[in-house]
Amino acid sequence: MRTEEEIRQSLRDWIIKTSGKILPEELTDETPIIERRIISSLQVMDLILFLERLSNKAIEVDDLKPGVFQNIDSIYKNFFEGGSIDRP
Amino acid sequence: MAEIARTVERLCEVSIKDYVNPYDLEWPESLDKAQWFTSPELISLYETPTYERLGEAARKRLSFFEAVNFFSINIHGEKSLIEGLAARLYKKGNDGISSYLHHFLDEENKHMVYFGGFCTRYAGKVYPDKKLVFRREYARGEEDFLFFAKVLIFEEIVDVYNVTMARDERLVEIARRINMLHHRDEARHLVFGRQIVKELFARHSPSWPSEALRGAREYLKNYLVSTWKEYYNPEVYRDAGIEAPYEAREEAFHTESSRAHRRRISEGCTRFLLDNGILDEEPAL
Repeated sequence: MRTEEEIRQSLRDWIIKTSGKILPEELTDETPIIERRIISSLQVMDLILFLERLSNKAIEVDDLKPGVFQNIDSIYKNFFEGGSIDRP
Repeated sequence: MAEIARTVERLCEVSIKDYVNPYDLEWPESLDKAQWFTSPELISLYETPTYERLGEAARKRLSFFEAVNFFSINIHGEKSLIEGLAARLYKKGNDGISSYLHHFLDEENKHMVYFGGFCTRYAGKVYPDKKLVFRREYARGEEDFLFFAKVLIFEEIVDVYNVTMARDERLVEIARRINMLHHRDEARHLVFGRQIVKELFARHSPSWPSEALRGAREYLKNYLVSTWKEYYNPEVYRDAGIEAPYEAREEAFHTESSRAHRRRISEGCTRFLLDNGILDEEPAL
């Protein structure tokens, strides 16, 4: 079972590695990753699959609320504190 | 535009002559899953250690879910395409192409009848779309250009798969037939797609600021990569009984033989984009 800090760190590591546009010291849990184009719409599919793997839960794109990918905080709250769907 | 007008006229004639009723397709009541549904060489895990560990029965089972994924990718791609085509039908400046957009729309809808028919009849589902699109600002003409360029990239890859599988006698007849029917229409869509993409790029890109041109090129290269990523679906691997499906996806996508496969299949498309100055370097596939 991962702790909240471990999950947040995994998210930070994934974003830095995938984006290639931001340094670790520039990324906080409130940094707007979509608005600042740190993660592009074309990378969101990879992010969704990464979150499924990390949370062991299936994500239904049709059920996503606007703003869930805004920053690490919103991702953690929506996918790790509830809000997504358990894998059948 | 004169060249496009001639092409549109000719493509409309062929579309009318080749008109097919999608409800004439004969569907087997059920399918024996111990057969090939996807050419083994086109299975996303082909030549990976995971694939090598599978016996023939497991490979054939995987080939069924790969076919469901391929058809699901097409359904989602064509849904977006239909939305985009409908939005451009009779739009100001599109008078010369609207007559063909009617055929394009009609034919894309028919393809979804085939793909959806296969997925729902034999798998009981369509794999969900994991893509999201965010709104953004475009330079003049950039949105239309990117729309048709994305359609072209998507269809060029699909068509290589269709042609290969339509000819592959190892495959179940219904899978071959759907691939053949799709290719018959796509061949025309690709002729139209290449011309409209070339024409829109030549007309609009000279007025774009250098940053917009660089951004459009970067976007298309990333689009090509993200299109390929849809072919590596962990849900497929899970349904086929493969353990650690996400790891299998990572392994498959980064295997050198997979890279070579993606480069080979995309070659016609990337050559076209490079030869016409639309891309200025090979995408890193």
